[in-house]
Parts: sequence; C-alpha cells; structure tokens
Amino acid sequence: MHSDFKSEPDLTQEHNKSLSYYAWKRLRRNKLAMIGLVTLSLLIIIAITADLISPFEPDNQILEYATKPLNFKGEVLVKRITDKNKDENEYIPIKGFLYEKDEKVYYNDFDGIEQSIPRNDLAEGSRDDWNRELTFLLGTDRFGRDVLSRLIFGSRVSLSVGLISESIAICIGLILGAIAGFFRGAPDKVVMWLVNVVWAFPSILFVIAISVVLGKGFWQAFVAIGLTSWVEIARIVRGQFFTLRETEYIEATKALGFKSTRVIIRHILPNSIGPVVVTGTVGLATAIIFEASLSFLGLGVQPPTASWGQMIFDGYKYIIAGTNWGLAVFPSLAIMITVFSVNLLGDGLRDALDPKLKR
Amino acid sequence: MWTYILRNFFYSILILLGVITVTFALLYIVPGDPARMLLGQRADVASVEAVREELGLNKPLYVQYIKFITKAVQGDLGTSYSTNRNVVKTILDKFPATALLAFSALILSAIIGVLIGIISAVKSYTFLDNASMVFALFGISIPQFAFGLIMALVFGAILKWFPISGYINEGFNHLILPMVTLALRPLAIIARITRSSMLEVLNQDYVRTAKAKGLSNNAVIFKHALRNALNPIVTTLSASLAATLGGAFFIEYIFNWPGIGLLAIDSIMKLDFPMIQGTVLFSAVIFVIINFIVDIVYATLDPKVKLS
Repeated sequence: MHSDFKSEPDLTQEHNKSLSYYAWKRLRRNKLAMIGLVTLSLLIIIAITADLISPFEPDNQILEYATKPLNFKGEVLVKRITDKNKDENEYIPIKGFLYEKDEKVYYNDFDGIEQSIPRNDLAEGSRDDWNRELTFLLGTDRFGRDVLSRLIFGSRVSLSVGLISESIAICIGLILGAIAGFFRGAPDKVVMWLVNVVWAFPSILFVIAISVVLGKGFWQAFVAIGLTSWVEIARIVRGQFFTLRETEYIEATKALGFKSTRVIIRHILPNSIGPVVVTGTVGLATAIIFEASLSFLGLGVQPPTASWGQMIFDGYKYIIAGTNWGLAVFPSLAIMITVFSVNLLGDGLRDALDPKLKR
Repeated sequence: MWTYILRNFFYSILILLGVITVTFALLYIVPGDPARMLLGQRADVASVEAVREELGLNKPLYVQYIKFITKAVQGDLGTSYSTNRNVVKTILDKFPATALLAFSALILSAIIGVLIGIISAVKSYTFLDNASMVFALFGISIPQFAFGLIMALVFGAILKWFPISGYINEGFNHLILPMVTLALRPLAIIARITRSSMLEVLNQDYVRTAKAKGLSNNAVIFKHALRNALNPIVTTLSASLAATLGGAFFIEYIFNWPGIGLLAIDSIMKLDFPMIQGTVLFSAVIFVIINFIVDIVYATLDPKVKLS
C-alpha cells in the first residue's frame, strides 16, 4: 500500500516541472548556445577578475615603449612604491643592466646613456624583484600601455554598459508594454505612438544625439542606450498581453475580482517572460555594439578608462597607415566575440523557450 | 482602401509631429546657449543678444516650439553653426551619395542573402546550413565600424585592391568597400529570415504536391516555395532600406563617403546642433515615409490587409 503511493508523487512531480526546467534541458542540448553561454561566462569572469589576471595596470604608461609589436619584451627597473595610496608599479625602461655598487644601480637608459639610481629607490627584494623583463603579448598602444590589459579591463565597460542599459530598457519596455497590452484603448494608442516615434529615429544616431545632449560619460551612455532600446521590449510585451488577456485563466482572475496590478504582475507577466528574455538577450548584443560605437566617437566612457570602442578609434589611424593593425583589430575581435556569444545564447534561448517545441 | 490610406497618412503625420517634437527637445535641453554657439565664445554680449532676438530664443518655450514646427514643415531648419549654410540644402546635397550607397548595398544583400537562405533551407541541418547560419550570425554580431575597418585593412591597406577613402567621382571602385560593408548586416538578417520562412513553406502540403507531380527541384523551390516565402523577406528589405536611406553613419565616416551619415557624425563632433537636428529629423522622416509607402503597397497586394 505504502509503496503504491510512492510512485504517484513522482508522476505529478514530472508534470509540475516548470517551463524554465524544460527550457534549460533543451538549451543544454544546443551546442552552439552552450558555446555562447560558456564564452559569455568566461568573459564575465574576466571582467570581474580583471585586477587579478591582467598583466599590467590598464593605464600604466611607459612612453618609451609606445606602439610596440606583438610579443614585445623589454627590460626595466621597478621603482619602489612610495605613495601608499597608489599600487601602480612604475617602470624605468633600460637598454641594459650594468652593475650594482655602493648602494647604487648603474644601467644604460633607453637612449643608451649610462645612468645610475640609488638602490633604495627601487623595489625591495632580490634582483628579480627590481630588474625584470616585461612581456607585452599583444603589443602596446601609442602611450606605451599594454594592449592585452586594456582589452581585459575594456570587458568591464562593455558588459556593464550592456547589462545596465538593457535592464533600463527592459524596465521601461515591461511597464509601457504591460499598460498598453492590458488596458488597450487610449493608453495603448499613446504607448504605440511613442513606440513608433522612437522607432522612426535611426537608433544609433538617436543614441548619439542623446549622449551629446546629456554629455560624455559612463552614466550618460547607459541612459542614452536604455532610452532608445525599450521599444522592442514594449512591443513584445504588448503582444503577449494581447493574447494572454483572452485566455481562460485570466478570465478567472477577473471573476475572482482581483485587482489589475495583481493580475498583471502575478498572472500575466510570468507567462510572457520567455519572449522578453529572448528579446532582452538580442538587445544586450545591440547595447554592447552601441556602447562601442559611442566610445568610437569619443562619447561614452572617457579616457583613461579602457573601452573597446575607443581602442578601435585610437588604432584606426594605424590601419590606414598600414602599421600596427593589432591596435584596432584586437578590440574589434573582442567586441565581435562578445556579441557573437550573446547572439548564440539568444538564438538558443529562442528555441528553448518556444513552447511549440516542448518535448 | 482609401480610408485605409487616409488613416495611415494621418497616423504618419502624427508620428512626424512626435519626431519633430523630440528633435526640438534635443536642441533645447542641450546645456549652453545656441546663440553663443553660433557666434563663438568670444562674441560680445550685444551681438549675442541680437542673435537671441533674431532666433526668437528669448520668447517663451511654446512660442519657440510652434515656430520650430511651422518652419520645419516649410522645410526650414535654420543654418549650420560651423558653415553657416542652409541645413536642409546641405542635407539634400548629400542625399544622392547616401541613396547610391544604400540601394547598391541592399541589392547586393538581397541577392546574396536570399541565395544563402534558400541553400540553408534546402540543405537544412547539414554542414552547409550550419556554416551559413554561423556566418549570418557573425554578420549580425560584428559592429559595422569594426567590419569596415577590417575590410579597409585587408582589401585596402594590405591587398590594395580597392581605395579606402573617397567618392565615385574619383572612380567607381570607391563604392566597393563601403557597399560590401553596409551590405553585410542586412544580408545576414535576410539570409536568416529567408531560411526560416522557406523552412516553413517547404513543409507545406502544396510543396509536397508539387514535388509529387514530378516538378524539378528548382521549379519547386523558386516557383512554388520562394514566392510564398517572400513576404517576410520583403518586409525585412524595406525596413533595411528605411534605415539605411537616412545615412550609413559609421560606414560613411570610415570610408569618407560624402553622404548624410558622414555629415551627421561630422556635425556631432563639431557640436553643430542645427545640423544634428537636421540629419536626425531627415532620417526619421525618410523612415516614416518609406514605411507609409510600404504599408500602402502591402495593402494593395494583400487582400487580407485590405479587409482588416
């Protein structure tokens, strides 16, 4: 008797599994989507741990080492850090180490002239601690900053601007779309008019124009991108509400006398979240491209903060000159990989969350 | 039918009104005094005041707004801060370059995009299909300016096949790189849309019937399937046209193509607000007009739209 009961809850449990369970199951089987997810996770880890994994501080300039090629190696003396608030290493590029005598270190400087520096001004420890060979895997930019480190730190800007501005867009889009789709009539007309007006502007120019108005900077970029990309979400949510409003279970909530806000938030929204997730992912990809475009024009995040778009702009002149192509190509690749993996994930989510494909 | 056109027409006017309002707001939220920007920082107070008077900047906001709308409707968007030229005239001068670029790129992307899409759909879930779709996703993922730079590097700087910068008055090969760069994104989108649209159609009974009665593969694909899969493709194309006719901003900038996009970016860099307003407004108006025309064309072609 007892064992008979045991098999039954199992069955109901199988039925009670949520859409997200099935979605995850389907997503896991989609190889391309998983590649996207793994790459994106890696990028997020890189962005979070940028301080630990980047070989240099992103705005540490060694002017003598300006625009050096890939895998450039240079010998330096490491200065002692005197300012406790600064943890940035200061380097003296040298042509060769000569000798150490009477508490002084003698060396050939970058121009080949013999120089000396008191041993006390250099970093503590053994000679390996203050006389080092630095490796710049991806070369340096025109200020002698390490390209790889700037790429690593640039991921922070791209991902955070993308995530935050898309969150703004989703908030605005959800609210306006829900109002339009639930109440219809006049509110719907007003919202759709607004959607069509914003839609009419070429989005990238609109983003640029808004950031010109708001001024250059990190926060302005969020707002400018957020204010333009909510329209997609609003349209999707409105469409979802239109269909869901007609279903029997929503009819039932009316019969029960629930308030509109409760019906919207507790009953309709959760069921329209699938398409919002998909549209939001695609929007995230677009937002990352917008941020890069803004930085490319010198709007958006300001120097010396590293951002991919700005790196491309700085490197762009070298492409025309036919030298140091890496300066523009590496950040381009970084943006491409990021957006590509977001889009792979978005495509996978679309398939996974499509209830028609439920298996 | 006429009521449909008329209703669409008035709705478009309503949207344009919103577009003009937003454009007006853009200039008047900007910190700083337009009169001073026009004259430069060293201008004396008296002449700044005179320009303020002339531009009507000392009037209440709603008066300025009404004046802006009446002038905009008459095609007067003021003069540029940096060149003192008429804004609308400058934009119309640049339009042919943008139109040439937009049309040539879209023709290219339509032909290749549809072809890739058809091949993908017919050979669905093969290596060819996967490769095409990864390529299409790549086309959507790469920012236009980054792709433009890579094209400029590879075909301009390294291989030296095509010139990197300039307009067709120096030779038609100046069109190639900006055209290909601009074509990539719509091409990728069209390939994806064509594939999914074709897949849907290919599974339908009438296609199976066509195959069963012994029609050749090509006849089935092009005469029967493609014709019915065309609707979403045309929608995507018209949307791309509406978007690119307003200027291909980064591409025109990178390849120094003298169109509206380059004008827009130049005026943004110079903070030339009347010109920014002008280019933004122009792109939006083009978008609304194209969409209006497309809606009408759809209505005449599709009886379902006509009825609703």
